[in-house]
Amino acid sequence: MMPLTQLQRGSRGKVTDMASVSFMVRRRLSDLGVTEGSIVSVRKMLPFGGPCTIESNGQWIAIRRKEAQAVRVLAL
Amino acid sequence: MISVALLGNPNTGKTSLFNALTRSYEYVGNWAGVTVEKKVGVLLDKKGELVDLPGVYSLSPLSRDEAVTSEYLLQTAPDVVLNVVDASQIERNLHLTLQLADYGRPLVVALNMTDVAEGRGVQIDPAELARQLGAAVIPVVARTEKGCRELLREIARTGERTVPVRTAYAAPLEEAIAELEARIPADAGPGRWLALQFLEGNEAVVQRLRKVLPAAWLDAFFRSTEAAVLARTECRDLQQYIRQQRSDRIANILSACCRRVSSSSSTFSEKLDAIVTHKWLGIPIFLLFMFLTFKLTFDWFGTPISDRLDALLSGPVSDGLQRLLQQLGAADFIQAVILNGIVAGVGGVLVFVPQIFMLFLIISFIEDSGYMARIATVMDKLMEGAGLNGKTFIPMIIGFGCNVPGIMAARTIEQPRERLLTILLTPLMSCSARLSVYSLFVGVFFQSHKAIIVLSLYVLGVVVALTLAKLFSCTLARGEETIFVVELPPYRFPQWKTLARSTWEKGKGFVRKAGTFIFGGSVLIWLLSYTGFRGWNVPIDHSFMRSIGDLIAPLLQPLGFGNWQAGAALITGFLAKEVVVSTMGIIYATSGDAGLQQALGTYFSPLQAYSFMVFILLYVPCLATVGVIRKETNSAKWTWFSVGYALIVAYLLSILIYRIGLLLGFH
Ligand SMILES: Nc1nc2c(ncn2[C@@H]2O[C@H](COP(=O)(O)OP(=O)(O)O)[C@@H](O)[C@H]2O)c(=O)[nH]1
Repeated sequence: MMPLTQLQRGSRGKVTDMASVSFMVRRRLSDLGVTEGSIVSVRKMLPFGGPCTIESNGQWIAIRRKEAQAVRVLAL
Repeated sequence: MISVALLGNPNTGKTSLFNALTRSYEYVGNWAGVTVEKKVGVLLDKKGELVDLPGVYSLSPLSRDEAVTSEYLLQTAPDVVLNVVDASQIERNLHLTLQLADYGRPLVVALNMTDVAEGRGVQIDPAELARQLGAAVIPVVARTEKGCRELLREIARTGERTVPVRTAYAAPLEEAIAELEARIPADAGPGRWLALQFLEGNEAVVQRLRKVLPAAWLDAFFRSTEAAVLARTECRDLQQYIRQQRSDRIANILSACCRRVSSSSSTFSEKLDAIVTHKWLGIPIFLLFMFLTFKLTFDWFGTPISDRLDALLSGPVSDGLQRLLQQLGAADFIQAVILNGIVAGVGGVLVFVPQIFMLFLIISFIEDSGYMARIATVMDKLMEGAGLNGKTFIPMIIGFGCNVPGIMAARTIEQPRERLLTILLTPLMSCSARLSVYSLFVGVFFQSHKAIIVLSLYVLGVVVALTLAKLFSCTLARGEETIFVVELPPYRFPQWKTLARSTWEKGKGFVRKAGTFIFGGSVLIWLLSYTGFRGWNVPIDHSFMRSIGDLIAPLLQPLGFGNWQAGAALITGFLAKEVVVSTMGIIYATSGDAGLQQALGTYFSPLQAYSFMVFILLYVPCLATVGVIRKETNSAKWTWFSVGYALIVAYLLSILIYRIGLLLGFH
């Protein structure tokens, strides 16, 4: 298990734990179909600790680096 | 006529479908209590009314516009629920569909984006999906209106419809739902749906049930149900559990009706994203895009047409009108009202219609193409520094068109603190009305640098807004941390039809304003310049207008434009910023100078003109904006605050720019 941000660019991981993601972000992500068990990959990180773009199920979502760090994944 | 409610996730083609099913908005009003637009259209076959609701992912609202959708379902029982489903993202979209199925009204699913789904190798069997859901399913491509005729026919078939198949939940939850349902009075609404939404934590439903059931009992019931359910699963909370149960049913449904042939994801969006959200180039590209916008608006397209319109209005149209009035033997007074008041005032504003429509066209393009979400992403780090998030930049961009819809767009922001700051700061975004003032002044003073001078004003507005955001969020509006989650939809080239329609929806307000508000304002302003303490038809130097202008001119002296004309224009400009142009048009027309442009040249120097434009940019939100701030913040205190801080900032910055400019040797 590791933070989503450490996932290698382009490779995929399975979300295992989102408990420490803030409530609102977790709700929004689950609206967009990202919950425990989803398969995600990291596409892009903006500089200066800016947001990172993740992909899940053919759909792209931008979230803050800090929140992405709180998402734990298992590399596939 | 039957009532049809249109619901769907954001970015699934809801607007396109609305446009394909109706001819135009029958009326656009406000939902009771909130200034969220309520758009209703009549279906093409005239058999029903289609109500356009804000896009939502689920019925539990997080933001204010999502609350509108939940409230609507609570208060009205539409005859048919029309659910737009994005076939290429069917799994996520069905979560909303299942909640709507529980709602218990007849359901019609418009399976949209079937072309995109096919391209991605997703094949869906509509008949099987319909059987699973107990609802009609019609595949459509809203963009090309394919399938829309079948959809209309299906909607019209009211009588023969059954209620959708409801989701059955696992044991302890199902019993809890039944228990609560039995207690909810029949007139409170669909019981099972209310019970489920309550257990899911839908705030709007919680409020509703508190009215009919004892709050203490409801709380205890919620807690005992949650405990009973969580004891058997690993879920964090009830909400997650219910969601998981739905996911299970969705997996079942999809295994029966959906086949994935291959999964080639679209690479076009990826390639474009590599450029526009590039690490370093993202923000420069956005600025370049804005620069091109102004080039297009001013140099390449808008201004040449405006100039022609101006020549037409001030030449043949007013001459013809004058001749006509003389032939009719109209009194001097009437002639003066029409020529010096209405033609100068309204005409002065109307000539900017081409620029403003160009700007609205580009804003519509940003909204529809998918670029908006990228701008929000690129700007997020910067906005976070100011105590906001990237999404708050969207209302600001819309504010470039008009501050009123910009402020209303702030309701998509989840955090109350960020929403308040966005409402307070969006008026600093330079709107199209102010554009008419800049157009006038850059045309006179900055012939060779029009686009860059105007861009500098827009950037100044943003910089001031971000600085103040930082200041306010450290002092006045402290509170929760900011959050940022946006969906990046695939890029799509907007259709001309949709672009034309949304440009027109935005721009017609400007034209209407010219025909009503500015028309009336012009007559009033003309009257003020025609009358004075000595009676009627006084020279302009003895008019009330002059007295008013003289009153505040001394205050403006330090800013470089201490003439009474500027003072009078600024006061009337509170009605609407375009009125500044009308007022100047009327004042200079009445004083008999050669033309507005030449007259300005004698009263302002370029530096003074720039200082004046900065003041116009910042000084106070216009009347309509103040009204919407009042409504959206629901607080007189914040409304006064928004007017007050703007005046102070405008004054200080104009002085600063003027004085520094003088020191640097400009004049
Ligand atoms: N390829 C394709 N694009 C569509 C379809 N329906 C809508 N679009 C495009 O999807 C984008 C978003 O549509 P819009 O109607 O604004 O979605 P809304 O946000 O749900 O109102 C626009 O660029 C549309 O042209 C469709 O069936 N197929």
